[in-house]
This record gives sequence, structure tokens and C-alpha cells, in this order.
Amino acid sequence: MEYILIKVLEAMATFVLAFIVGMTYGGVVRKITGRVHNRLGPPWYQNFIDAFKLFSKTRGIHHGAMHFLGAAFLMVTSVVSLMIIPILAPGGHAWYNSWFTNLNFNGDLIFLIYIMTFGPLGMAMGAGQTGNPNSSIGVTRGLSQMVGFEIPWVMALVALMITYKTTSIVDFMNIQRETGTWLMFANPFAFIAAVLAMLGMFRYSPFDIVGAPTELASGPVSENGGKFLFTMMSSGSVFTFAKLVLYVDLFMGGANNLIMLVVKTFLLYMIPVLYGIVSPRYRTEQAVRWFWGWPTFIGLLAILYAVMF
Amino acid sequence: MDMLTLILLLFLGGAIVTWLGNKLSPVVGDLLFLATIIIPAGMFFTGVTVGEVTHLHALGLTLTWGLTPLSYLFSMIVVGLGILLAIYAVPFMKGKQKTGAFYFNFTLSVMSMLGILVSKDWVSFFIFWEIMTWSSYLMVVLNGKDVQRVGIKYFVFSAIGAYAMLMAMVIMNSQLGSFLLADTFNNFQHLTTGNQILIPILLLVAFGVKSAMMPLHVWAPDAYSNAPMAYTGLFSGALSKMGIYGMVLVMVTMINQLPEGTLIRDIIAWIGGFTAAAATLWAITQDDGKKLLAWSSVGQMGYIIVGVAIGTPLAMLAAMFLVVVHAMFKGSLFMVVGAIEKQTGTTNFTEINGLIRKMPWTFISALISVIALAGIPPLAGFVSKWMLYEALIQNNNYILVILLFFASTAGFLYCYKFLHGYFLGQEEPEWAHVKEAPVAMVIPMVLLALGNFVLGTFPQLIFKPIDAAMQFAGYDATGGRLWGESVLFTEWGDVVTLQPILYAVLAVFVFFALFLWFKGTKGTRYVSTKDISTSGELPKEWENLTFKVNFMQPFERAIEPFLKRQIDKYYTAFGNGMEALFEFTRRIHTGNGQTYAIYAILFLALLLLFRVNLFG
Repeated sequence: MEYILIKVLEAMATFVLAFIVGMTYGGVVRKITGRVHNRLGPPWYQNFIDAFKLFSKTRGIHHGAMHFLGAAFLMVTSVVSLMIIPILAPGGHAWYNSWFTNLNFNGDLIFLIYIMTFGPLGMAMGAGQTGNPNSSIGVTRGLSQMVGFEIPWVMALVALMITYKTTSIVDFMNIQRETGTWLMFANPFAFIAAVLAMLGMFRYSPFDIVGAPTELASGPVSENGGKFLFTMMSSGSVFTFAKLVLYVDLFMGGANNLIMLVVKTFLLYMIPVLYGIVSPRYRTEQAVRWFWGWPTFIGLLAILYAVMF
Repeated sequence: MDMLTLILLLFLGGAIVTWLGNKLSPVVGDLLFLATIIIPAGMFFTGVTVGEVTHLHALGLTLTWGLTPLSYLFSMIVVGLGILLAIYAVPFMKGKQKTGAFYFNFTLSVMSMLGILVSKDWVSFFIFWEIMTWSSYLMVVLNGKDVQRVGIKYFVFSAIGAYAMLMAMVIMNSQLGSFLLADTFNNFQHLTTGNQILIPILLLVAFGVKSAMMPLHVWAPDAYSNAPMAYTGLFSGALSKMGIYGMVLVMVTMINQLPEGTLIRDIIAWIGGFTAAAATLWAITQDDGKKLLAWSSVGQMGYIIVGVAIGTPLAMLAAMFLVVVHAMFKGSLFMVVGAIEKQTGTTNFTEINGLIRKMPWTFISALISVIALAGIPPLAGFVSKWMLYEALIQNNNYILVILLFFASTAGFLYCYKFLHGYFLGQEEPEWAHVKEAPVAMVIPMVLLALGNFVLGTFPQLIFKPIDAAMQFAGYDATGGRLWGESVLFTEWGDVVTLQPILYAVLAVFVFFALFLWFKGTKGTRYVSTKDISTSGELPKEWENLTFKVNFMQPFERAIEPFLKRQIDKYYTAFGNGMEALFEFTRRIHTGNGQTYAIYAILFLALLLLFRVNLFG
């Protein structure tokens, strides 16, 4: 019993960390976007203010049971992914290192790929029940885009798996610690393919076709306010953090302490953000085909590289 | 008389008695039908032991029947799904035409499938195979719609398969002098090299037709969607698995003894992968739930074929697990469509909206089954997907695994289309009268859906019989090596422990569901789906804004070049070409006596003209 309680507390600590870092990143991105647009931009803690406002709303509407469950499904994906992904590298010596173990040894990359799709599908159900056509349109776009970027992403992962004969994330981190080479240098093609897939995964321009503010009025999240939007926003922040940590774990050797983690994830996060700020939006079919073009080719190169060397 | 013969005879007799009883009164027919399925099924579960063999002497032939661990695995699917669908079928067929014929063919199908599985010689195998084909053919044309197009297509392809099998049987018997399955497998080395290649290919064609392997699949989408939904669950869930059963037999016995075996395995695996991907894309474009599920069935068979063809212990385990699980979730989904058809009279996505609040139990079974179909943890579909991918990566099939990943991700699109199509969107006054389906229809589908939930975390329940079947087929024991109590392993040391994951998922889900429900409950009110803001504009009461038509259009645009190619068109072109040829022959063979008289005269004239050259 005690063991389970400690586990739950550790999981909560991880969640709080992810929430704070994710929310801060969100605010910082808004600031950076503002500055690039030659605006002042909101303060970096604006997302916390927004979240607090949404959380404190006492009135709201719902369209049925699935409306509630959709947001809960979304949370499942964010939190369970966060539990499976190792936050810190196994070799680290900081006193809090053992806090972030969670379920690291219970799942692997293939599991992660699938659990990461659980939330969007559940969220899609919730969006569908609202009856808002923009929500359904957004969902179909999002799923289409997922089929697009999943190909280079999986190719990059398969390239790593066949080189090191494992699918466990912890093993990949151990390999990087033992060899002293980050996998982004060991198989550069895999890293490039994964980063290109990342552009779609984070849904900044030119791949912001799901929310598409000017076309779809935020797409799937429209019709949601108050506690629903609060849950979705938190889930989004946590999930952003989880995905960034996964990339750091796989390609940049993980992080030994929290400061390195923040530095590495932030640098990585700037790739989709900065690319997005200066890009217009693709149409859905353009986005899907874009991923099946160069990114897939580089993914193929990654697999070839893994097979040959 | 021993148990197996008795069970098969009970099915046969029951089919006839039910048919006659139904003429007497529908209620008698219903009761007789249930008894006909459930009593022999119960006897099967209690009285039959694996390994016992019976001989039947008839018409100068000796028929040998008996259960092997492999066929026991498949017969559990047939009998289990048979019982649930029988319970479902009674309220489903209420008030419909041709109930007697439906019951008759349903029972015959179950009997023939069981017969195929217990056959230990090719003669009874072939006889039961043909009964299965005939009974399913009669089901496909039961509603009398599209008999020309759908029925004939199914029949032509079944005939191709049957002739291929017959040819293989005859060659084997003439060369080896035995019809026994065991003899033909064991003495396979004594055949000539040509025959060693020819026979497995003929058999694979026969089994490929039933398991809807591309390019032999064209009959399947139409046939699945044209049969009554209470039967399609069995059709897709169990009947198509007979092809897989045969394929497993051929793979582990004949192909393993061939030096070219690896090549054949690779080809079949690629065909399977292509089937999975292409069928998924076609499923996405369908606007009819039946058609969508039919294409999806073809796609899922593709995954199974890949697993069987790769044939490593892990791949085989994945394929066999998917065989069981597919029967469960697809059975449940076809029942869902049947329930919707029964309650609303249509299955077209563009016509029905927002049934979620009217048919909640149907929605729950659909949701669980769809999550299992998509392969998302913690449901059962994930277990087979995980094992299959691991098996492919470890077996160096890198490109094939990408193809399957693509198919499976694209599968989410039709999964969402299915759920959104029936249950979500704006609720219309047109469908306000719709009620939940009768209890007898709801219970079987909920049970099957829950089965997916249980097997997703406790797959060892099914792995045990699968392991027995695989050991019979010549594999080493896999328990403890590739799977344990709620754990999946691989030889690389990759692990997925399913129980902590299930508990984590449930804990997070319940916590946030409760949070959303209880936080500010008083201030949160229900509003109808007509009360929405679309870009700040309030829709009118009579406006239906649900997005249904051209649902996946952006994606369809992206895959447009692929969708232009359709094997069906080539077959039709081939058929048209043949028809032109026949038309030309008909000009000569007019059936008119006078034309023939002219031919005779012309022939004589020619003889006279050239008599010098010909006769000297």
C-alpha cells in the first residue's frame, strides 16, 4: 500500500513538473511569436493566467456524456505517455532522480506510438458529440495529418530499433551513455526524419490545419470552455513536454538533471516554433503529401543507413 | 456413435427441423433454432476431447474425423461466435422475410465450419468446404438485392478456389495414394519438384479466396455487406478464418519442407501487407457502415496473413491472437451495424446522425470494439499489433513493418468515420423516435466488446490454447518466453507489462472524468446539439450542420492516384474481353440449324475445291 502511495506521489510530482514546464513554454512561445511579429506579446506567465481563469469559471455547457469523456481520454494519453517516457537519464545522480521513474519499464516505443493516438481519438469523440461541424472537420484534418507524419516518424524509430536491437526507451538512453555518442549523430538521417515529423506533431504552421483559427474557429476545441478547456489546455502542455522529452531521450542522450532537461527540450522546441512563425498554412492534402515526400525519403535513407552500418 | 459425428448430425438434423418448424410457426422456429445451435455447441464444449479420432465408412471411402489442438482453437471461435450470433439473430430476424432459410443456412454454416476443422482427410474437408461455400452463398443472396453482381462474383471466386483445391487433392492422391491430411503432409517429400511447388500454390489460392487475400478479395466487400448483418459477424469473424486455418496448415507442413519456402513466405507476407494497406484506404472512402466494416475485415485479414506468412513464433502468436480477437471485435461491430439497421432502417452515414444518446449500449460496444480494432492499448488489438511489429522488425522485414504501420494509422480514419457517422453529430428530429435495440441483441455485442477489454490485459487466457495449437504445428513452447501472466516479451528483451498500464489508464481516466463531472456541476447545463456557435453564428433549428458528406475528402485527395487503380476494374475488363470472345463464338455457333447446314455445305465445297491438293 505504502509503495503504491509513493508511486502515486511521484507520478503527481512528474505531472506538476510537466504542467509547469509545458505551460511556461506555451507562454514563452507566445512572447517569441509576438516579438517576431513586431508586437510586444503577452507576458511569459500568460498561460497560467488563462488556465486559472478557465479553472475558476463556475458556469458552462455540455452536449452529453462523450463531451466529458473526450477530455478525460485526452488526459489519459498525456499522463500515461508521461509515465512511460523516462524524464531523466538513468545515470543521473541528482537526489530527485528516482522520483521520475514511474512506469518506465512497463512499455516501449511501439506501445508509446499507440498510446499517443488514444487521446486524439477520444478527443475526436468528444468533439463529434458537440455537433459543431468545425470540430469534425478539424478532427478529420488532424487524423489525416497524423497518417502523414507517422510514416517518417516510424521510419526513424525503426532505423534506431534495427541498429540497436531494442525497442525500449531506457535501453536507448543507456546505449547513448555507454557509447558517449548521441543518436542524432549516430544516425543523422533518423534524426532529420524525426525532426521533420515533429513539425507535424506539434501542429505549428504550416501544419496548424487542425485548429486553423481563421478557418475552423479552433476546430475540435470549439464548443469547449471553462473546465473542459482547462483540462484540454493542461493536457496539451503536458503532452508537449512529454513529446519533447521523448525526442531528447532518443536523440540527445536524455538529461541528467532538470536544468539540462529544460535547456535541451527548449532548444528542440524552437525548431517547430521558429519554423512555424514564418510559415503560412498548408492545405490538408498538401500537408499529408509533404510528409510522404522528402521526410519519407530521408526516413528510407535512415533505414538503409541502419541496415548497412 | 461418437460425439463428433453426433454433434455434426445434430446440426444437420436441427437445420432441417428448424426450417420445417419455422413453416409451422415463427416462435417454434426461433426456439428450435436456438436449441439447434446451443445444444450441440454445449456438447462440443463438454463432451469432445482433443485427439480422439473416428472413422466413417461411406460410399467406399473412409472419412476420418478428429480434433487437433490447432482445429480446437479455431472451433472455439466458430462455436462461441455461433452461439452469440444465434442469440442475436432471433430478434434481428423478427418480422423479416425468409427467416427459415436464414436459420437453415446459419446452422449449416456452423456445421460445415466445424466439419472442416475436424476433417482429417481431404475428401471430407472438400465436402464441408463446399457446404460452407453454398450456405454462405445463399446468405449473400438472401435479401435478393444485387444477386447478379454480388452473388456471381462471390460464386466465381469460390469456384476458382474450389477447383484449385480439387486439383491439388487429385494430384496428391494420384501421386501419394492417400487422402489423409497427415499422409499428404508427411510424404510431401516424395512428390516431384514441380508438384511440390504447384500443390501449395493451388492450396494457397483456395485458402486465399476465403480469407480475401488480394487480388482474390474482390468478392468480399460486396458479399459481407450484402449478407444479413446477423450472419456477417460469422462470415467475417469465423468463415474467413477457415482460409487462415488452411493457410497455417500449408505453411507449417508443406512450405517448411520446400527450399523455396522463404521466397513463397515473403511473397505471401507482402501480399498480406498490401492487402492490409489497400483495404484500409478503401474502407476510408466508404459511406456505408457495412461496406466500411467489410473492407476493414479484408484489411485485418491482411495483418493475419502477414503473421502467418512470416511464421516466426512471435509472428504466429500475433496472427493467432488476432484471429481470435478479430472474431470478437468484428463480430461485435457487425452486430452494432445490424442493430442500427434494425432500429433505423438504414446504414448510410450520410442519413443517420447522433444516435449516441438514443442507443447508448450500442455506442459503448462500438466504442470499445473500435478501440480494439485500432490497436490502442489497453485493449486486445494492441497485443497482436505489438507482437506483429516486433516480429517483423526482428525478422528484418523493415519496409513491410512501415507498410503495416501506415495501414494501422490510416485505420484510425475509418474508425473515427464509423463512430462519427452513426453516433455523433447533430441530433435530428427525424431520428427522435429511435430506441435502443432489444436486450437479446445488446447482450451479445456488449459481451464480445468486454471480451476485448479482458483479453487486452490478460491475454494469457487465449495464449494458452494458441500455444497448444502452435506446439501441435511444430513450434517450441512459447509460454514464459514470449508471453507470461499479463506480460509480453520478445527475444530482444523488450517488455510490455499490461496490468500496471491498465491500472494507470483507468486511474487517470476515472480521476479526470470525475473531476470534469463534479467540478461546478450545478453551473454546467446540458444544451442540445442545435445550440452551438459556429464562428459566432447561431444555426437555425431546421439547419442541419452535421459534417458527413465527403467526410475524408482531404485525405482522399492526398491518396487520389492510388484510388484510381482498382483490381475490380481489371477483372471487369477481363470479363468484358471474354464476353466479346464468347459473342464472337456465338456468331459461329448460332444454335440455328440452317447456319450449321451452311457450314456443312461450305466445308464440302472447300473439300471439293481442294480435293486435288488434299487427296491427290
